Amino acid sequence: MSENNENQQLDSFLDNKTKDLFDKLWNIIEKNINDVSITRIDLEEKMSKVDLIVSIDKKDILNLFSQLRENENLSFDYLRCLTAVDLQDQGIEVVYQLYSMSTKFNLTVKSMLSNDDLNIESVTSIWRGANWYERETSEMFGIIFNNHPDPRNLLLPEDMLDVFPLRKSHPLAEIEVLQGEDIEPSH
Amino acid sequence: MSNKQIETQEILVNMGPQHPSTHGVFRMVLSVDGEMITDVQPYIGYLHRGAEKLCETMDYRQGIGFMDRTEYLANFNAELSYVMAVERLLDIEVPERANWIRMILVELNRLSSHFMFVGAFGVDCGVFGTPFLYSFRERERLIDFFEEISGDRMMYAYFRPGGLAWDVPANFVSRVEEVLSSSEQGIKDMDGLLTNNEIFLSRTKQVGIIDGKAAIDWGMSGPSLRASGIEYDIRRAEPYLYYNDIDFDVITGINGDVFDRYFVRLQEMRQSINIVRQCLANLTSGAILADAAARNLRTPPGEVYIRTEAPRGEYGIYLVSNGDNRPYRLKIRSAGFSNLQALRDMVIGSYIPDAVVILGSIDIVLGEVDR
Amino acid sequence: MISFLVVNPFIDSLLKILSIVGLMTVSAMGLIYLERKIAARFHMRLGPTRTGPAGLLQSVADALKLVGKEDIRPASADAWSFELAPYFVFIPAFMMFVTIPFTLMLNVEMLTLGLLYIIAISSVSIVGWVMAGWGSDNRYALIGALRAAAQGISYELPLVLSVLCIAMIAQSLNLNEIIAQQTIVPNILLQPFAFFLFFTSALAEMNRAPFDIPVGESEVVGGPFVEYSGIRWSMFFLAEYTALLIMSILIVALFLGGWSWPFGEKLGTSWQILLTIMKTSLVIFLIFWVRVSVPRMRIDQLMNFCWKVLIPLALIQIFLNGLILVFHLPTFLLAVSSIMLMGVLVLIINKSMQNLNKNHIVKNNLESA
Repeated sequence: MSENNENQQLDSFLDNKTKDLFDKLWNIIEKNINDVSITRIDLEEKMSKVDLIVSIDKKDILNLFSQLRENENLSFDYLRCLTAVDLQDQGIEVVYQLYSMSTKFNLTVKSMLSNDDLNIESVTSIWRGANWYERETSEMFGIIFNNHPDPRNLLLPEDMLDVFPLRKSHPLAEIEVLQGEDIEPSH
Repeated sequence: MSNKQIETQEILVNMGPQHPSTHGVFRMVLSVDGEMITDVQPYIGYLHRGAEKLCETMDYRQGIGFMDRTEYLANFNAELSYVMAVERLLDIEVPERANWIRMILVELNRLSSHFMFVGAFGVDCGVFGTPFLYSFRERERLIDFFEEISGDRMMYAYFRPGGLAWDVPANFVSRVEEVLSSSEQGIKDMDGLLTNNEIFLSRTKQVGIIDGKAAIDWGMSGPSLRASGIEYDIRRAEPYLYYNDIDFDVITGINGDVFDRYFVRLQEMRQSINIVRQCLANLTSGAILADAAARNLRTPPGEVYIRTEAPRGEYGIYLVSNGDNRPYRLKIRSAGFSNLQALRDMVIGSYIPDAVVILGSIDIVLGEVDR
Repeated sequence: MISFLVVNPFIDSLLKILSIVGLMTVSAMGLIYLERKIAARFHMRLGPTRTGPAGLLQSVADALKLVGKEDIRPASADAWSFELAPYFVFIPAFMMFVTIPFTLMLNVEMLTLGLLYIIAISSVSIVGWVMAGWGSDNRYALIGALRAAAQGISYELPLVLSVLCIAMIAQSLNLNEIIAQQTIVPNILLQPFAFFLFFTSALAEMNRAPFDIPVGESEVVGGPFVEYSGIRWSMFFLAEYTALLIMSILIVALFLGGWSWPFGEKLGTSWQILLTIMKTSLVIFLIFWVRVSVPRMRIDQLMNFCWKVLIPLALIQIFLNGLILVFHLPTFLLAVSSIMLMGVLVLIINKSMQNLNKNHIVKNNLESA
């Protein structure tokens, strides 16, 4: 699908109100986040129909997030959700859903990790609530969150450190051990 | 006499996963100094069934059933987030009648879930089952009603992308009014049993306090957040369905203590009744399923994060589609997961019995925490 | 006094012991059934219905089941204290029975210091609780045992002080005499505050709601008994209900006039037994009622309530009683002073509630629907 096509599709399902909101938020972000150290901050073309999505390079996330949080025009103080999507060959994408209690803005931030370098800075220093989300994402996808205060498994067993269930390369039931499988049949 | 200090030692108390008041298979390891809790280490994951992974292998309609099983006390609310996410990707318009019925069912489910909370909370506080059974009577009536509609007591799977599975029975309106009036009486009973009881007040007030700022920082949502004085209700902040047209109050607490969390829920039940009454007045006849909703849905590529206000807080569905008839990635953001993180802040420095009450006041459902 | 056959003192004693154990076990089982049924009615349930007519045999079935169960001792438990603990709880409960008056001159052994004896014996069971908690090598049990010890010892004081109020008025420690003096006015009218004190402390002594902190099911899952099973556990259970029965009879004897009918009428023995049973049932029903209605208190609140509220007020009551009795002031002043102290208690509770309530959701929110 060409880019043009996608934009047309986008227009069709975004009503004007949402579009205005997105434009406004994007303007504020462009105006306020102008740190030179952020190399690239893109408006995602494949836009969500609910939230504005931006994607950024992984080395900028702490910088960006602290600005997003501190800036009073944005003040994204609420981390809704943190997860990852395994895009197979392209890498794994870490997704942050942000919300601002005061300005009522929603923002989705994405950062792509390449498959041979699956680590990213932890954002627990910015939102304490990121703690468990990062632990879960870490164990499910094998992403390492640097400087995480408590990098243990959360939902999976403590010793299940080499299996990453939510990766696409991991089919269902591969690690399932059937009961009594190792036992010799008795005659 | 010698001046020797008494040597004291902290002990670890393992609470759960088999413990009557951990609300399922939650485990926390408390470090206690006498009765005082100095540290707490929560462990979850005992109920992890990999719902997200399973949903990636099932088509969109099959996924509805999984939502029921994650949030088994507020199934309609969980289904709603999911079907709304799919509808948003498909960009289909839901018939008006279906939306009103959805709202009624979601609010009634909130009622039943809060009834469950109030009852279980009474037991956590140490009443010998009385509030539990009183609230279960009300919950039972609601569940019977849900069974009449969906055919199942708990796992309804009644919402469909685009509307509802089938129309409600003919006596729907009168039945709703019946359960509403019984629920109203039930809330009054709860008020009488707990709200004004001196021992209950002394057990719950000034216990497990979390201020609004910390609660936001932890990502708390729902009544647990509102009890800390933050007026954040997704029904108001980002209205979905027809909440824009409905008149209701967002209940907030002041102190952010256990009592506020209880009381906010109790008041919210009254608001839910209020909302359902207004929905009933607006209920129209008409189709209950959008024409565009095919049986085997294929969503266009894209992604969406839909959140709704479930009884425990924000129930979010992050749905990524690559054009197939099943989600490419489905993330369930559950309220209990975030709320439970804040437990540490609330519990440290309180007593062992408080830990139980505080955990009860967060109102976790382990099915939704572990997914 | 029961004197079956005065042929041989040994046979006599044996019969007495048998009658105690038999009567107590049966009535404890009856109480368990009653509690289930009554709590069920409060809960809008039916309670046991399947075993026997109206579920009457449920307690028997439970007893049989418990006896048939394996007696498990955890590997790391301290064998001696774990195995002996039930006896330390079980035996004192039965020993208290000795001096309990059922009718005029009908009790196992009439002791002149009967009240002192009961109070002394009732505190022995704390040793058993601590042994059970310590011996089980379980943290819940340990916490429960420490709570039991703290609570039991603390509430011994208001219990004794309230008994002292009555003993001052009756000028006797003999239960029969105390009852005999209540033929006209029961003590509850003279000393309502002492009654409240005794009732509260008795609940705490028996570890019943709202003071079931040592066994708090939602916190320490049964406290000291968490590791017990089978017959040993049922000994604790029986002791609990025996203590309930004895405490209730004691309340009846001390405050409600025991076997006597108010207004000074002389009644026959069978009427006396009936009156005792009815009054006791009333008290037991009250205890069950309290159990299903109120939440559990926290151990620090319990201690505060005991040491900062109950004991000072009890001492004041004793002082006032002393003044009234020494200077031969009119008897109704006893009642007046007691009612005043009740008022003080209510004020104190209200005040503490206000402290909790300030800076809170406005109360008129309550009924908005």
